[in-house]
Amino acid sequence: MEQTENAEKTAVAENFGGVGTSGGKKKRQIKQKTLREWLFAYGMLLLPLIQFAIFYIWINANSIVMAFREFAWDDDGNEIYYWSMANFTRFFMEWSNPESVIVSALLNTLRYFAAGVIMVPVTFLVSYFLFKKIWGYKVFRVVFFLPSIVSAVLFVTTYIELIKYGGPLSTVLGWFNIQLPELINDPTRTTGTIIAFTVWTGFGVNMILYQSAMSRIPQEIIEAAQLDGCPWYRELWSVVIPMVWPTISTTLILLFTSLFNSTGPILLFADAGRQALLDNKEVTTVAFWIYQKTRGGVDLNYPAAIGIFFTVVSVPIVFLVRWVFNKLDPDVTY
Amino acid sequence: MENQVKQIKKTDVGFLITKIVVFAFFALYAFTLLYAIVWAFGMALKGQEEYYSNPNGLPQAWAFSNYAAAFESVKVDGNNMLIMFLNSVWYACGGAVLQVLASAVVAYVVAKYKFPGRSFIYGMALVTMMIPIVGSFPSQYRVYKALGILDTPGLLITKAAGFGFNFIVLYSFFKTLSWTYAEAAFIDGASHLRVFLGVMLPMAVPVMGSLFLVATIGLWNNYMEPVLFLQSYPTLTSGLYIFQLQTTRDVNYPVLFAGLLVSVIPVVLLFIFFQNKIMESMSVGGIKG
Repeated sequence: MEQTENAEKTAVAENFGGVGTSGGKKKRQIKQKTLREWLFAYGMLLLPLIQFAIFYIWINANSIVMAFREFAWDDDGNEIYYWSMANFTRFFMEWSNPESVIVSALLNTLRYFAAGVIMVPVTFLVSYFLFKKIWGYKVFRVVFFLPSIVSAVLFVTTYIELIKYGGPLSTVLGWFNIQLPELINDPTRTTGTIIAFTVWTGFGVNMILYQSAMSRIPQEIIEAAQLDGCPWYRELWSVVIPMVWPTISTTLILLFTSLFNSTGPILLFADAGRQALLDNKEVTTVAFWIYQKTRGGVDLNYPAAIGIFFTVVSVPIVFLVRWVFNKLDPDVTY
Repeated sequence: MENQVKQIKKTDVGFLITKIVVFAFFALYAFTLLYAIVWAFGMALKGQEEYYSNPNGLPQAWAFSNYAAAFESVKVDGNNMLIMFLNSVWYACGGAVLQVLASAVVAYVVAKYKFPGRSFIYGMALVTMMIPIVGSFPSQYRVYKALGILDTPGLLITKAAGFGFNFIVLYSFFKTLSWTYAEAAFIDGASHLRVFLGVMLPMAVPVMGSLFLVATIGLWNNYMEPVLFLQSYPTLTSGLYIFQLQTTRDVNYPVLFAGLLVSVIPVVLLFIFFQNKIMESMSVGGIKG
């Protein structure tokens, strides 16, 4: 009877976290185990978190600090910095100047972005026909993917040689009595030429993403559509697009995430004889202009302010786009 | 039934015509890409004079010596192509190893351990991927300079980021990996670190290998960061660009092209041997989480 009572007491103590003999020991063991797990987890995370604090938080916080500080030389020729809104004042003043580099850079950025948006449906169509196993689809898949693997330095250098006067393109056009205009050295055409390069070499990764998503569509659904006499464009529009919409929306959201970072390999289009191109307002983009200013290494606060401005502008755009795409997202389960 | 068969036949004919048109476009596009590569190979085998006299034709005498010449004459601030190759190796492979290992550590701990702050860390990883940061180069330059890692191999520490795309992939992997293996090891008296290094991490090697390949290719081809932050350590990719920027007179284009082709050999070899792994790894990003 006494034994039963003691056992009941112990059980109650255990249930309520009391200090029964075995319960206390067990709890201590659990506590020690949990503590060891926590110590291990925090120990493992220590270095990655320090790395994150320095190379993400510090760098981005420093961008904000730099944006609100002005640079000047003191009498001894040393760099001095003081708190100021001058970078933003200068930036907003530039908008009223039609010759402004930033206005031109923003327009070029939007051109690269528009090209990226147009490439989404084009890449999707390419992926669809590869998914439909068009003749030679395995070879096409590898060849179309090549520019994503091979260094842009090789591709750009070759591209420049192919499109220059006397090169293969001008020779082919010459057969039809068409004279190839100056495509790179004329700054009014350089951006178009670089965009053409990004389109030419730009199918790679998205093509793989779309194809991978299409390959997960159950074959029975495609076969059912075919049995119903569904033409290819109807199959594409009514079956494939809704089924892979999550992937399409992901790529579009990623595109909007890099809206103000849209650019091409502008740096590579300049060689020893064309260095002036790099600072030409007709050619530059927002991201490249900031990069170029950093290469210059002087007065980095103004480009930092511009970076902060465009970051702040793009955050609501990205979240709005995400919200819109989540609303549009067809509820497909397969 | 007969009508249905007719309809299917009509659809087949329609699709056949579309396929022929699309095939023609694909073939033309593939031709332009392959032509560019073949043209570059042809250029790398010409003599310097032939580059001017016969820019579009096949090489008359195949000058394989251009490849040897590239290793001798393509130099950036005293660094020849062999040094650039070594720089590419430590920059690309070292950076990729750090990237993948750091992500594996964070992903494993967040996926498998319950501790205060776990959800915060996971949320932080997702949010930082969504924030579209524009132009942080000026701040990066200042911070790297302040830390003394600017233009030094110490810059590799910036690659040891535990968050981002690699984290998401490895987190999904560890989340679905059974904990039974770890429990068996714990019963045998293994420590948490030993379980991670000896049991769980080896199981993640295939996934980590694919991520390593993609990261290596990305870093090997990266020219913007080495041009900006590693000027004294030109990689093959950045060095061959800087060479073009610095050579103001008598550029030997065939030799330059030989150098450019050599610079892409390691990446092309990786692609040839691990084509499916690389493509699969890139396609993981398409799965909406």
